[in-house]
Amino acid sequence: MIQDRPAPAGAPAISCRGVWQVFGVNARASLDLALGETGGDTAATARLLRQRGLIPAVQDITFDVAEGEVFVIMGLSGSGKSTLIRTIARLIDGTAGEIRIAGEDILTADARRLLALRRDKLGMVFQHFGLFPHMTVAENVAFPLKMQGMGPEQRRARALEVLELVSLKGREDSFPRQLSGGQQQRVGIARSLAVNPDLWFLDEPFSALDPLIRRQLQDEFLSIQADLGKTSVFITHDISEALKIADRIAIMRDGVLVQIGTPDDIVLNPVNDYVREFTRDVPKGRHAHVETIMTLPASLPRMPDDPGLRANMTIDSALAACMSLYQPVPVWGANGEIAGVVKPSDLASALTPDEL
Amino acid sequence: MFRSLSPAIRAALLTLIVGMVCMLLAPYLGWLQKWPASMTLPATEWIGAAVTWLVELIKPLARWGAWLLSYPMGWAAFILIETPYPLVIAAITALGWHLGGPGMALGVLAGLCFVLFSGYWVQGMTTLSLVMVSVPLALFAGLVTGIVAYRMPALRRPIQVMLDVMQTVPTFAYLTPLLLLLGFGPVVGLIASAIYSAPPMARNVLLGLQRVDPEIRDAALMNGANSWQQLILVELPAASRQMLVGMNQSIMAALSMVIIAAVIGGFDDIGWAVLLTMRKADFGNSLIAGMVIVVFAIMIDRLSSRLAEPRGGHSRKVIWGLLGAGAVMAVLAARWLPAASEIDIFAPLAERTNSALGQFTANHGATLNAIRNNAMIYLLLPLRIGLDHAIVPVMWGFGWTSAMALGYFGAAAALAGWLAWRGQILAALMLLTAAGVVKLGIAHLPWPFVLFAAGALGWVASGWRLALTAVTLLGLILIMGLWEPAMLSVYLSGTAVLICTVLGGAIGLLSAVSPAVWRVVRPVCDLLQTVPLFVFLIPVLMFFQIGEFSALLAICAYAIVPMIRYTHQGLSSTPEELVEAALASGANSWAIMTEVRAPYAAPTILLGLNQTILYAFSMLVIAALIGTTDLGQQVYLALGQGDVGLGVAAGAAMAMLAWVADRLVQAFAEEKRAALGL
Repeated sequence: MIQDRPAPAGAPAISCRGVWQVFGVNARASLDLALGETGGDTAATARLLRQRGLIPAVQDITFDVAEGEVFVIMGLSGSGKSTLIRTIARLIDGTAGEIRIAGEDILTADARRLLALRRDKLGMVFQHFGLFPHMTVAENVAFPLKMQGMGPEQRRARALEVLELVSLKGREDSFPRQLSGGQQQRVGIARSLAVNPDLWFLDEPFSALDPLIRRQLQDEFLSIQADLGKTSVFITHDISEALKIADRIAIMRDGVLVQIGTPDDIVLNPVNDYVREFTRDVPKGRHAHVETIMTLPASLPRMPDDPGLRANMTIDSALAACMSLYQPVPVWGANGEIAGVVKPSDLASALTPDEL
Repeated sequence: MFRSLSPAIRAALLTLIVGMVCMLLAPYLGWLQKWPASMTLPATEWIGAAVTWLVELIKPLARWGAWLLSYPMGWAAFILIETPYPLVIAAITALGWHLGGPGMALGVLAGLCFVLFSGYWVQGMTTLSLVMVSVPLALFAGLVTGIVAYRMPALRRPIQVMLDVMQTVPTFAYLTPLLLLLGFGPVVGLIASAIYSAPPMARNVLLGLQRVDPEIRDAALMNGANSWQQLILVELPAASRQMLVGMNQSIMAALSMVIIAAVIGGFDDIGWAVLLTMRKADFGNSLIAGMVIVVFAIMIDRLSSRLAEPRGGHSRKVIWGLLGAGAVMAVLAARWLPAASEIDIFAPLAERTNSALGQFTANHGATLNAIRNNAMIYLLLPLRIGLDHAIVPVMWGFGWTSAMALGYFGAAAALAGWLAWRGQILAALMLLTAAGVVKLGIAHLPWPFVLFAAGALGWVASGWRLALTAVTLLGLILIMGLWEPAMLSVYLSGTAVLICTVLGGAIGLLSAVSPAVWRVVRPVCDLLQTVPLFVFLIPVLMFFQIGEFSALLAICAYAIVPMIRYTHQGLSSTPEELVEAALASGANSWAIMTEVRAPYAAPTILLGLNQTILYAFSMLVIAALIGTTDLGQQVYLALGQGDVGLGVAAGAAMAMLAWVADRLVQAFAEEKRAALGL
């Protein structure tokens, strides 16, 4: 089992402990039985369940998501990532384990509490947008507000406000079918943000879009996220998307978490061949940062031709700055102090592909 | 050796052997052909007693409901009949304008003027008022049923079975228990039509709800909708397109049933007008009344199918203008225009049609009779009672001799041997079986053979389960004592289906090859499918009088449509890529048709055959009105005598036959689809 690194400071906004999602008849009983027979071993239990005709889609998943963090769950289709986010949002009932949202156990919440949570705290964006075809853009965005019981004028005002946030001002009275895919997903994003939720679930929000539009929306997502600082769980199958927007990435395979880490971790220290295969074509210099390979020596004299590397620079730009140097180069931290040193040759070797 | 044969060949071989044994033993063991009366369960009496008991139980409630319903019915009739007709015409035309713009408005106006001039305005409006009341009932019942089936998956299967039954039980079979329950009166037709037209709505509601994108459902939940809000605010509106399709089908079914319900008589509606004029052999008028029905059907179909399409905003001013014009005309009408019932502009036309028809039959009566008699003697009778009974000196000029039998079976055996030698063992076995069937006649087939053959077909098509169900259902018909009329039903519908398959298949093939042909065939198919069953009887009666041949023609005219449609659809929907691949391999157009298009279309064509069978069965009951002897006739007789037991039992037997045929063909279609990986 992969142990999660301690989450960044603050109480976890979402906390999953040993979550299982098994499909089939008598899933709960079969899972308990299999766990008993195997002594709690995850892989053996999953094998046993499959033999008995059940589908262990999510197996013993444990992780925390910190307040304000963008947590990306990434994996190929069939890896269980969509099932996991649906279990966390309790669109399906988890088979076993514990999921806490802001400390509150959501798997045992009753229908009324769940309704209240969804009305006030949760927002979700869907892969194929999930827009209501019979409602205008404004009505779609106002729908969660209507569920909250807000009056018609207020909710229209709020809907227009959110639509402006996603640059859809002027399209509020169109119907979804009259919009392009990118515009439709903007509506989806606006709707999920209308109630100003604490938690933001995004289930492959940009997968159905053209590459250009996808990049545009990713940038917009980042800018919205920078403004609002929502705790987000973001599902994707695209490693470059994950690296671009994530604070931390969890990689899933066949229902199991393979690795959790920052984008730098994933790119530079893949735990196994599966993850390495994913990151193989990733231009590492563009995603990993200098701080991940710098060292902290006792002292270092100032250089006359200091290229001015910063800790949060990507390796590509650092290498470009000190291409002609052979000496260790100082790296400056955000506070204006020297944070460490890096040898230009280390920068170069970090970029060479892993030997396979 | 036997084990090494394919399952289909094994089944066919066993069926043939069973058939031969039965044929050889039949002369000595009478019970092989005729199920002994001593073994017959008095099922009709039991059913009659049970239904009567049930009817007595709920009678007070039902009568109270009927009494309640008579109010809206009265109001609807009052509104449509007592309102001056210019206003009614203006209002319906305005509706046409609102739904479909100028074209639709003009069509509606023309249609209504035709109804007015036909002299059947009052009768037409009576029918419409019944539809107006029954449709909301059906739609409501259908909506609720559909929602329940959707929301409670445990009930979905039983509900679907119930809907199947409601639609396969012949229309007349509804009427007998309802008559007992409600007494004579228009309410019977109203309720029957509400029951009959609810299933399409329920099906489409369920289908629409099931087709709602799961993400939309999830989105509603995540946005904080509770389960009712999810249903009413999101799922139902998202399914509305499909529900409107269901509404269109429901309305058409209601119209059809209201007209059929006229056979119980007692109120002056358009169905009654057709029936009455038909009985008086006043075909001119019956044709005009029939055309009034057709006009209604087309109008209602076009109007209600527009509901499902998005509407451009047609000016409201026109609506008010139309209504105003109608009102002005109505005021004038009080002074100048004649009353609706006094208009008979088409009366001379009916006269002339009658005399023309009289002349035609006088001149060509011999030809018509020859057509009918030849078809009877050389096709229908042999199929029905077998070659040995049909070939008698009176009709054929010679009798059936054992030498002929020898020659007949010898020829069949030779042909089969040749086929087997070519490697077509299955075809050879089926040819021999068919030869035996034609010799014996469908109505005289030994029951063990029929049961075994049905079981074998079920087993080959799908497996033991289907085989067992088919045998059980047919066995039930046997012990209920309804075997003879049931086999007559099989004979009549089977013959019709055979003709439809050959003819419809050919027309479908032609339409697929030539778009020009399709342009002609398509509107004819549309028309034939919109016309209520009843109307099909008029033209065949005009030319061929009452009898089995007329019934056969009416059945064929109605049941051929799906065969044409599905054949065309199947043959012309082959993926372009496959055709191009065949072309690139050097296939000519004939090879493309036989090697690529036909195999690809096979499952679709089989579904067409399935529909054709079901259509034939539903027409069978209507055809009882013009002289048949089968189950449909039993149902119709039961209606006349108020014999609930016979009515329900015969109706159930028809439904069972239809069910068996339906499942067998569907199973084969499914198998073919699976083989093609579709």
